[in-house]
Amino acid sequence: MSNTPISEIPGIRDTLRASFRKGLTRPLEWRKHQLLQLARMLQENVDVFAEALHKDLGKPKFEAYAYEIGVMIERSVDSAKRVDEWAKPVVVDAQDWQRPMQPTIHKAPVGTVLIIAPWNYPLALTLQPLLGAIAAGCCAVVKPSEIASHFAAALAEKLPKYLDSNAYRVVLGAVPETTKLLELQFFYTGNGRIARIISVAAAQHLTPLTLELGGKSPVLVDPSFDVTIAAKRILGAKMQNGGQLCVSPDYVIVPRTHQDALVSALKNAYAEFYPQGSLVSDSISRIVSPDHHSRLMDLLNRSKSEVVVGGRSEGNKKIELTVFKDVQPEDSLMEGELFGPFLPIVPVDSIDEAINFIRDRDHPLALYAFTDDPKIKQRLIDETLSGAIVFNDVVQQLAFNNLPFGGVGPSGYGRQSSKYTFDTFSYERSGIDVPKEAEPFLAARYPPYNEEKLKIMGATVHIPIPASS
Amino acid sequence: MVQENAPDFAQAVAKDLNKPKTEMYFAEIARRTSTRAPIVQRSLISAEKLEEWAKPAMVDVPDWQKPWAPKIYKNAKGVVLIIAPWNYPMTLSLQPLIGAIAAGCCAVLKPSEISPHYSALLATLTPRYLDSKAFRIVLGGVPETTKLLELQWDHIFYTGNSRVARIIATAAAKHLTPLTLELGGKCPVIVDPSTDIGIAAKRTLWGKAQNCGQVCVAPDYVLVPRSHQEAFVDALKAAYMQFFPDGCLASDSISRIVSPEHHSRLMKLLERTQGQVILGGKSEGLKMEMTVVKNVSANDSLMEGEIFGPILPIVPVDNLQDAIDFVRDRAHPLVLYAFTESAEFKDQILKGTLSGSLIFNDTFQQLAVNEIPLGGVGESGHGRQVLKYTFDEFSYERASIDLPKEAEPFIGMRYAPYTEENFKIMAAPAFMPIPE
Repeated sequence: MSNTPISEIPGIRDTLRASFRKGLTRPLEWRKHQLLQLARMLQENVDVFAEALHKDLGKPKFEAYAYEIGVMIERSVDSAKRVDEWAKPVVVDAQDWQRPMQPTIHKAPVGTVLIIAPWNYPLALTLQPLLGAIAAGCCAVVKPSEIASHFAAALAEKLPKYLDSNAYRVVLGAVPETTKLLELQFFYTGNGRIARIISVAAAQHLTPLTLELGGKSPVLVDPSFDVTIAAKRILGAKMQNGGQLCVSPDYVIVPRTHQDALVSALKNAYAEFYPQGSLVSDSISRIVSPDHHSRLMDLLNRSKSEVVVGGRSEGNKKIELTVFKDVQPEDSLMEGELFGPFLPIVPVDSIDEAINFIRDRDHPLALYAFTDDPKIKQRLIDETLSGAIVFNDVVQQLAFNNLPFGGVGPSGYGRQSSKYTFDTFSYERSGIDVPKEAEPFLAARYPPYNEEKLKIMGATVHIPIPASS
Repeated sequence: MVQENAPDFAQAVAKDLNKPKTEMYFAEIARRTSTRAPIVQRSLISAEKLEEWAKPAMVDVPDWQKPWAPKIYKNAKGVVLIIAPWNYPMTLSLQPLIGAIAAGCCAVLKPSEISPHYSALLATLTPRYLDSKAFRIVLGGVPETTKLLELQWDHIFYTGNSRVARIIATAAAKHLTPLTLELGGKCPVIVDPSTDIGIAAKRTLWGKAQNCGQVCVAPDYVLVPRSHQEAFVDALKAAYMQFFPDGCLASDSISRIVSPEHHSRLMKLLERTQGQVILGGKSEGLKMEMTVVKNVSANDSLMEGEIFGPILPIVPVDNLQDAIDFVRDRAHPLVLYAFTESAEFKDQILKGTLSGSLIFNDTFQQLAVNEIPLGGVGESGHGRQVLKYTFDEFSYERASIDLPKEAEPFIGMRYAPYTEENFKIMAAPAFMPIPE
């Protein structure tokens, strides 16, 4: 499928704006139907989408169904059930004398929004924001990544058959098309470099943003937690999409004395998951493109650490799961987010060193820690920042519909999933309605001001302040 | 700090703005007894409710996920920058600061150089009451603000105008800094003739008189059906006589214009208007009379931008639907005011427009309600403040789970090698029934 002609893009935005203004997306029943149509689109074309994901990423059917298609069907149906609850105006509890003013907060849609999605979980990361936009009552332009071109084409073909094209459109393209679109309102999932470009464009229109970014998500491994299970859970998660996941366990921090035990356990887990090795297994995605493949091979070649598992590559799309030990902070593997099947292990000499290591670096999207020690857990909670803090597992936090997903600092801002995505695309419109009968009660507020009115209106200056130290 | 130095603060703001003591006390320092109020009382409420706001939230999950302790921490973003304007210098500097303190952030606060007496007093007093290792005041104008914006902050909270907001947003983009932008624009007042015109006029004029119109939520202009313009004008005149029996220039119940630049800006708008001045219009030094102009058209000088002064244009329309369209054709306002008793018309306005707040049958009074948030949409800004809303601006949600090793049998099917059996379980949601 070819790119959307750039000249058509402003017209698409204007059509959606006109629909929004006419109130097309307002009725809750209408939104629910669109949400269920989205679920039907996925369920009735599940093989088409799974096949597209396989073509784009070599994604195993298992992962396509379990982590993208199934999740989105479930969340579409769930959102349709809960739109009434989310969109309900909230009557606020106020002081007695203010109650007759009916203070209310309406959850109102912001308007016409733009969702820019990445290539790695192309279905989930296009449709999860879209679900929230539909539920909130917005119109939306969706720009899936051109790097996952089969998925993008499938979406562009199927979406108009299920959803109302007056409200929702898919735009296909790369940089030129995206630049044209950047004049709309944004939900961006991707990397920090592009996020800065998008933020500057958004600034020109004072557009609010959600930036779902990434970074290096560390895994602390403390000897107090069963190392066999830790290794299994870490490796199992690393293999998701070949490591090409924003919350992938990027690298491991372990006490030096525990490193070998962990390496041993990782080797065992590897043999269990890939009895014939990961190059020949069809239970693992491949690297998305030759460019990313050579990026990863370069990191591998420049690394000064020791390879303890894997290290081989085949063609320009396959790299074995590779585990590295004794990785130094200045190693090539620690330069940036890996986004691939590499697991560096960084040995440290104390928990203080581990915490400082994390604090010295960008706030991660996820911080993982394997430990049964409540003191260590509490120190991590208190002394670090991260979008999520996950104990004794990796990536599993994504399975929770009602946990907010998002970053802090360079890992981004804004939240998604269920009500959080709804909230992203809504704004709180507060209101009061003051009956004319209130007039005597409001008398002290009118000029001319005098001492008596001041006594009434300024009385709370003198309220008692409780003691504290 | 505010309670012990209330008279000094009132005096400083009077020097900056000639703001009457009553206005200063009720609008900035504190409010009437039975209400919750700005700074003094909102500090106390925040201190009291802090624990509740900061408490980790438990998450509702299906039974099989309950053993995994899903929760959401509300954590401080870090070190934040607050930039405040000159018009309600205390409220708009300290209200965000309250939220930042409550959230557990450190903060730099830059009050406006255009309210120098207030800012100087704040800079003197703050280190005596708050911990300087966590909270600092930076004084300055454009060069100092530019320097501040080169640095990385974990959140920037800006109150002001949309031109400067774009500069701030561009600077923030470099560091991917999240923003709160509390901006303004023209807040329309729609008057439905079926309402009590006397009350509508009185409540509109009162709102306009606050701080001499120099407030983001000031009723900027009025839309009224042509047939009722005169009735509304008459009611405004009556209210005016009630508020300012000796005229505005002689009254100490109204502020003055903040600076010569803003004064001449306003006088020029008035000089260029093609509407008819039916009340006020005179000025003396930096004092300006409350001025009402009728028969103002859409392309008049008074409709070019946010007035931010004591001029109230009345724009006659043919009918109420035209009033809604007029509003809809323009930038989303911070507040939309409408005087009407009709439930149907209220609903039309609610559905047909967007605005940060939608206020029926009064102006300005919404600021007294602690429980509703203040903020804009579109050009009027984004983000919210007041109590928990400000706390939320300066916090982020940190999701958490904790998986015991005993969970292994429940999650075993997620591991490679993927088999048909594992697939059946893990892919089951894909086949769930979709309701009609």
